[in-house]
Amino acid sequence: MPRVLTFKVNIETGKQGPNEAVNFSFNGHKMPFEKVIGSNEPDAIFEGSFDVNSFAHSLTLVGPEKGKWEIEKIRVDYDCEGEKPYIVNWGAVTLDETTEVNLWQDPPVPAFDV
Amino acid sequence: MNFIKRFFSGMKQEDEVSEPAKVVTPGSESTVPEPIASDPVKTEAATEEERFSDAPPAPRTVLHAPAVKQGLFPESSDGILIKAQPSPTGDQCMFTVNQVLMKDCSWYFDSFESAAESSLAESLFSLDDVETVLVCEATVTVTRKDKTLVDWKALAKEIGAAIRNAVEEGQSLIADKIISTIPSEDVIREGIQKVIDEEVNPGVAGHGGQINLLAVKGNSVTIQMGGGCQGCSAADLTLKQGIHTSFRKAVPEVGAIFDETDHTAGLNPFFS
Repeated sequence: MPRVLTFKVNIETGKQGPNEAVNFSFNGHKMPFEKVIGSNEPDAIFEGSFDVNSFAHSLTLVGPEKGKWEIEKIRVDYDCEGEKPYIVNWGAVTLDETTEVNLWQDPPVPAFDV
Repeated sequence: MNFIKRFFSGMKQEDEVSEPAKVVTPGSESTVPEPIASDPVKTEAATEEERFSDAPPAPRTVLHAPAVKQGLFPESSDGILIKAQPSPTGDQCMFTVNQVLMKDCSWYFDSFESAAESSLAESLFSLDDVETVLVCEATVTVTRKDKTLVDWKALAKEIGAAIRNAVEEGQSLIADKIISTIPSEDVIREGIQKVIDEEVNPGVAGHGGQINLLAVKGNSVTIQMGGGCQGCSAADLTLKQGIHTSFRKAVPEVGAIFDETDHTAGLNPFFS
């Protein structure tokens, strides 16, 4: 469980998007993104980040308060203490007012050629 | 600290916002009685009731979007490429090869004797410090005898060379007698379910735990740990020393055993 210094999301919305503020939940605490660019309206790209500086137990993207949010792709750039920055990509998922989607993945296990 | 600071400052703001709003309607000032200062219990209770009258937000279901996996190897590579990935606990190392070693099934070699006629496993057991070998599709997972060593660099180089030689020689990597003895998925499923019901689950039930068989593919099985096992800090030990041993004793033909438990989710996660 590393200390997350900062993380940045890039979310591609499909044909349905709520166009409302995007929140994430870190260790169960709901927060808005900072340094936001774009939106989550249909066919738009949303970018946001947050300087967390705390240990990660869970990290999720919270679904909209109303309506559905069709997500095509999610890319998360993580910068964790003592780890090389890494990127995780996820595929399509649809969120609504009852759901959130996991955004956390541990740093990859170091691999080397033999 | 930034997150903590912001979280607590957020809480403060929420508290401020959650103070009951004072609504004043024209002409109501004289008719609405002011709270009686001499009755603090009643006043406090009424204020608390107003403050917490809103129902908490319903918990949301956490979905898992499909992860887009990045390939370990470049797409156009002619030679045999091998990547070594030591486990975080350091007790085993997984070697991924850019070609399939054992199609649609897996095999667990627990000794040099069990590796007879399987050129890949034989060459690995000829190295010092190799304790067990698990071959599954394009991967080879090795555990070492010396549990005090966690640096795999030196041994991994030797294992990599042995795997490369075995593949280049083109001999039967896994003995035909092994392939022919692998039973059907139904037989594996029945045997594993029986050992879960009769041995494993009664054992972990004392800790409020439960093991579920999720899938059988070839002779590889996927399980999920639930109840008290999900989130237990001893889950890894239970899995490797308890469940693996029981499964292999009851169904010797079982190959890879995958654990699909999300130990960081739920109400009782453990910090890996």
